[in-house]
Amino acid sequence: MKISKLLIVFLSIPIIISCEDHLDVVPEDNVASNTVFGSLVTIDGAMVGVYSLNQSGDLNGNPQLMGDFMADDVKFVGSFPSLQEIRDYETLATNASIDNIWFDAYQLIGAANNIIANLPEVSAEDVVGLTEGTKTQLVGEAKFLRGLTYLTLVNLFAQPYQFSDGTNLGVPLVSEPFEGGDISDFQNERSTVNEVHSFIEQDLMDAVAALPETNGVRATSGAAKALLARLYLYREQWDQAADMANQVITSGVYTLASDYDFYDDNPESAENIFVAVNTPTDGPQESTGSDEVYVNFYNPAPGGRGDAPFSQDLIDAFAAEPGDRRFDELSQAATDAGGNDTFFTTKYPDVVNNASDGMILRITEMYLIRAEANLRNNTNVGDSPENDINLLRGRAGLPDLQMTIALDDILNERRKELCFEGHRRMDLLRNGLNLRPGGGAESAPGANKVIFPIVDDEINNNPNITQNPGNF
Amino acid sequence: MLLVLLVCSATTALAQEKTVTGNVTDQLGLPLPGVNIVVSGTNTGTQSDFDGNYAIKASQGQTLVFSYLGQQDVRITVGTSSTINVQMQEDTEALEEVVVIGYGNQEERKIIQNVGIVKQEAIENLQVVSADQLLQGQSAGTQIVNSSGVLGSAAVIRVRGVNSINSGSQPLIVIDGVPITDTAGNTLNRGGNTGINPLSYVNPNDIESLTVLKDAGATSIYGSRGANGVILITTKKGRKNQKTTLTLDVSTQFTQSTDVPDILTADEFREFKAEVATIQNGATVTPEDLGLGAIGSGGTDWLDGVQHTGISQNYNLGIRGGGEKTTFFFGLDFQDTEGFIIGNTQQRQGARINIDTEVTEWLKAGMNLGITNNRLNRVGIENNTFAPFTTAFLQSPVIKAYDEEGNYAQSGSFIPNIFAIVDLDTDELKTFRVIGNAFTELSPFPGLTWRSEFGIDKLHLEEFLRSVDFNSPGGSAQQIFVNEDRWLTNQTLNYSNTFDEDHSLSVLVGLNYEETLRTRSNVSSTGFLTDDLRNLGSGSTPTVLNGDRFPSRLFGLFSRVSYDFKSKYLVEGSLRRDGSSRFGANNRFGYFWSAAAGWVLSEESFVQDLNFFDYLSIRASLGTVGNDRLGTFPSLGLFDAGAIADYNGQSGVIPSQPENPNLKWEESETLDVGFKSSFLDGRITLNATYFKKTTRDLLLNQNLPPQTGFVSISRNVGEMENSGLEFELGTVNIRKPNFEWRTNLNITTIDNQVLKLNEDAATDDDGRRIIDGPVQRAIEGESLNNFYLIRYIGVNPDTGDAEWLDIDGNVTTDPGSGDRVVTGSPLPDFSGGMTNTFKIHDFDLSVLMNYSYGNDVVIDGLRFADGNDAIGGIVNIRRQNLNFWRQTGDNSFLPSPTSSTFNLFNQRSSLQQLDASYLRIKNITLGYNVPEKTLDRIGGIFQGIRFYATATNLFTLKKSEMDGIDPEVTDDIDPLFQGESFFTAPQSKSLTLGARLTF
Repeated sequence: MKISKLLIVFLSIPIIISCEDHLDVVPEDNVASNTVFGSLVTIDGAMVGVYSLNQSGDLNGNPQLMGDFMADDVKFVGSFPSLQEIRDYETLATNASIDNIWFDAYQLIGAANNIIANLPEVSAEDVVGLTEGTKTQLVGEAKFLRGLTYLTLVNLFAQPYQFSDGTNLGVPLVSEPFEGGDISDFQNERSTVNEVHSFIEQDLMDAVAALPETNGVRATSGAAKALLARLYLYREQWDQAADMANQVITSGVYTLASDYDFYDDNPESAENIFVAVNTPTDGPQESTGSDEVYVNFYNPAPGGRGDAPFSQDLIDAFAAEPGDRRFDELSQAATDAGGNDTFFTTKYPDVVNNASDGMILRITEMYLIRAEANLRNNTNVGDSPENDINLLRGRAGLPDLQMTIALDDILNERRKELCFEGHRRMDLLRNGLNLRPGGGAESAPGANKVIFPIVDDEINNNPNITQNPGNF
Repeated sequence: MLLVLLVCSATTALAQEKTVTGNVTDQLGLPLPGVNIVVSGTNTGTQSDFDGNYAIKASQGQTLVFSYLGQQDVRITVGTSSTINVQMQEDTEALEEVVVIGYGNQEERKIIQNVGIVKQEAIENLQVVSADQLLQGQSAGTQIVNSSGVLGSAAVIRVRGVNSINSGSQPLIVIDGVPITDTAGNTLNRGGNTGINPLSYVNPNDIESLTVLKDAGATSIYGSRGANGVILITTKKGRKNQKTTLTLDVSTQFTQSTDVPDILTADEFREFKAEVATIQNGATVTPEDLGLGAIGSGGTDWLDGVQHTGISQNYNLGIRGGGEKTTFFFGLDFQDTEGFIIGNTQQRQGARINIDTEVTEWLKAGMNLGITNNRLNRVGIENNTFAPFTTAFLQSPVIKAYDEEGNYAQSGSFIPNIFAIVDLDTDELKTFRVIGNAFTELSPFPGLTWRSEFGIDKLHLEEFLRSVDFNSPGGSAQQIFVNEDRWLTNQTLNYSNTFDEDHSLSVLVGLNYEETLRTRSNVSSTGFLTDDLRNLGSGSTPTVLNGDRFPSRLFGLFSRVSYDFKSKYLVEGSLRRDGSSRFGANNRFGYFWSAAAGWVLSEESFVQDLNFFDYLSIRASLGTVGNDRLGTFPSLGLFDAGAIADYNGQSGVIPSQPENPNLKWEESETLDVGFKSSFLDGRITLNATYFKKTTRDLLLNQNLPPQTGFVSISRNVGEMENSGLEFELGTVNIRKPNFEWRTNLNITTIDNQVLKLNEDAATDDDGRRIIDGPVQRAIEGESLNNFYLIRYIGVNPDTGDAEWLDIDGNVTTDPGSGDRVVTGSPLPDFSGGMTNTFKIHDFDLSVLMNYSYGNDVVIDGLRFADGNDAIGGIVNIRRQNLNFWRQTGDNSFLPSPTSSTFNLFNQRSSLQQLDASYLRIKNITLGYNVPEKTLDRIGGIFQGIRFYATATNLFTLKKSEMDGIDPEVTDDIDPLFQGESFFTAPQSKSLTLGARLTF
């Protein structure tokens, strides 16, 4: 009998012991967070994922479009109530379109934070092929995209720097990834615009130091400098704006394209500094919502919705100087969604595959920034404003401006060059110009609804948040 | 010398073999049918017939052993007489049967767990297609809502109501000790709840008994999986020392639909549309003007075309027997089933082997193995344009199914030509499943057994779809393979002993380890050159939709201790520690416990002195159980890959789920109090139970601050309570030698209350937290399920306007979503079943009814089938719509065509909410057992011949507003959508004729 008992005990023990260890099961359809930093491939995949998030139409597409709808380049004739609200400066905190921007922005920031916070902790010795150099570069890429996204947020949800020298409220700053713990670290109050800008500046300076000059379609030191130039321009730090733009122009990596073919799915054109690449096969970036908003909205039917034709004001601006290749080669006459005969941009032509790229930074903008900053600062860093502007006019088939150039000339050139690329609203606001030609108080710089309200979901889930002034 | 004598006597005995006949009665002198009679030491055996008569060949000096469950064995040595009549006495020791409970057996009289027992007697004459129907109406607290008459789809089984909001509420099903997998979503969605019925993988003819574990005392031994109740299915085993019997059962079934809505014919439709348009325009409008064709120009009776009389055949073979050491059961079945819906057929083949053997005095071994092979041609149901019944209701009757040459014609709208869909397209689901276990049972000394079980549940599933060019331009194909494999081991040590005569102790300790791996590949393809190219590979654009693996593991340690004093005072406790790969790292192991106590009052002299009760006991139990249906990796931080995370041709990953290390099971605490009684010589049994089940840590989606980068996270924050009463009454109304009538009735009431929702949940105007849906609203402090709709009153005879009530109860003709209030509940006030069985001479009749009272359903499809304007007015409507308001004083169904409410009429409101109380005659079986004399006359090859006829769903008593609509509704298995349907295909009405031969 004793032997039987012993047998039972001895036969059972191995089963009990071995079973406990088996409960750690790893998923195979997803990657568990603790394994993401386990191999070079998944580490790089995590960074690719951040680029993929940046490709989302709610971060590159809708923000640009909505800026255009609020400004004077586009006449939005579409039927989406949430976009009509935005056009009419009646945006509510419950507006689903801006909610998507807010969520997607913080989703990207969270994914970038994951890399920025965790990758430096990964020992290069533990992961085959991982070098300190790779780590630095990937963190730099993540910081570039985080800075870009914060700039998108602060431009849309806060009054610009000019409103009160940047002391007004910006957006909440999060620099740590959410890993399931306490949520109070993610209920931050809004930092001021100056604080947000300085956070972005630091991210971009880190990126400049960490990134190579060329990096395929991914972020480069040139891209970080170019974005810094834009940030300084928005902040009226003319010296630094001109300097950064000049550094990009003189880097030798980018050259002004001779024609306008770079729009047509040509991310590696020397014109482009950084674009959101859309390809025919990259599938949906989100389960809901379209990522190919540029194509859908800026193209007439068939293929597009025909919602966002040229405004009459923009047509007039081009008509003032006939022969502008930026109109003749980059527009088409068609009927809009409201049945009117008008013009549409052809900067996003791929209606077949919905795969036109989002234009984020290109060298032309650097010439425009250098010119504007030099003019405002009375300097000639790199070159004179006249030469920079005439260079762009020459490409557009227009004669050189003969007289001394004025700020309005630069802004007009900037408008015709960068229309439909999401710049116009900020250019008007920061220069104290009404968003609509002959517009009233509701579209004047500093008006409550030339910026978006903080979205309802943030208000409801964050007791520390402050809403923008106005009736939301 | 002795040897010689023995041999001699044996020889003599053989020489003197004769036929012994006699009659067996119980202690009341009533004939006892089915008594086993064997000649001791031989394989000769028989059973007493319905009148208690038997005949057996035996020799003088041999011993006949009479045995019958619950009666003391009688041993009689054959003497000179050829007649031996026996009166058996109840065996008080073994009066009650042994009942299967979690990881063991228990004498029924000593059970202080709350279990619903469905014994073989209750089900052996029930002709059913799948095992869930065996449970229907049989056990209090177990609600089975049949799916529609569509073959192969799952019933919704709830043990004591819904105990979860976002996790599953289906009970755990254990077949011969193997908890089987029941993953929803293994098959393609065909609208509504079309998951595959996990109970369709066991042949109902192979089932010996079903036990439903209800209270925590019974379920806590299943720990993290017991919260929704546990259904234990035990298949037939052989019996020792019994003549081998072979049972062949052959039946044919004819199936039709029960009840369908009355919809318009083509000409009625034309006249209706023309008349409405004429009134609206103020000038005559003809059907031709409306593009509907002239009156008399024909159309299609779609509803008639999608149904037919289904003819099914069922062959079932069972072989059962056993010797001194080894017992066995073999089962074989073949079913060829045709539903009443066109295109819906099923072929099932099943086989089973159950063997038990005593290797030595101290070692037993055995194996149970069931194999099922199933081929199902599926059809859509509910809100699905490929659903024959839904589409037949809604398709315009003026549309012609065929062109002039007799070929299929396109319908011209998004509602397809359903005849072409069913006829030309393929939707075939093949499944192969093996469920079985092998065990050894070692008894090193009396009282102690070590049982070691190894089980498998292997499911292979393949679904193939092929849609032809006519239905899907270019053609399309899809193929899904799912393998869901589970292996497990149960190791239990059981010690039972009685000390000093009065103290009985039973101790169980055990271990349970399970590994489950589900793999799936789902591939589709489009662009076929011709319909003759059938296979996926022939398409020009193949796409991999899914290719994934989901592993999970469970490890449990458990123990149960039962003690009783003189079988009078009983206590029992159990404890289980479960570890699961699904739980968060901080809550990987959960402890579940129960404690129960019982008092058998009928053992006390002061009750015995009453001379009234045969049996009376009271009991109470308290304990906890868990629900682990949380998904495979709910607690891990996850990154998604694939199209959502790629960039410029490079693969990437993006965060998709935040880490949730505190996530754990949902936990239910159940209090259960009840009594069991039997009196008037066992002619009346009455059991009653009160229970209160409080479920905590319900998983709810809590919104996260957007700054986290995530939308929500599952937290264990909700609380819900189910409480109720269960009654079971059994009566023997008439017990005479040739006439017996028994009735079993059960009633269940369940109250559901949501105690707590997450803090950030939406709130209503009163500040109460809610979960809002389009039709239902769960409200904190009230039931989980409330229909929340605008109140519809009717058409005002004076104005011809449809009228509703606004939120304040004032009449309005323009209600909005702010006017919604609680209008009804899908939860019944009470529900249950009643069985009446009659035995008259050689005939037996059983009538099984089930009922539900006080529940509502919302038939969402009526928004389309009523009114004039749904989907642009192209859809067919019910006949009552012909009754529209024409002049003052009309009591009409539909408002005036010129009323502003004419097109608002069919908006979502209480108009679509119907009272679904019903009483249904679920199953009537009439059987005739050929008497033994006749059997003898035809040569004695048959031990029994039974002819039977079974009718299902013969009659349903329901409200007239339910005309054409089935009250049993299971569109969705989701607890938040109970009682909602788009259009349920009706239940089937069937007639089965069959014969059962026993050799």
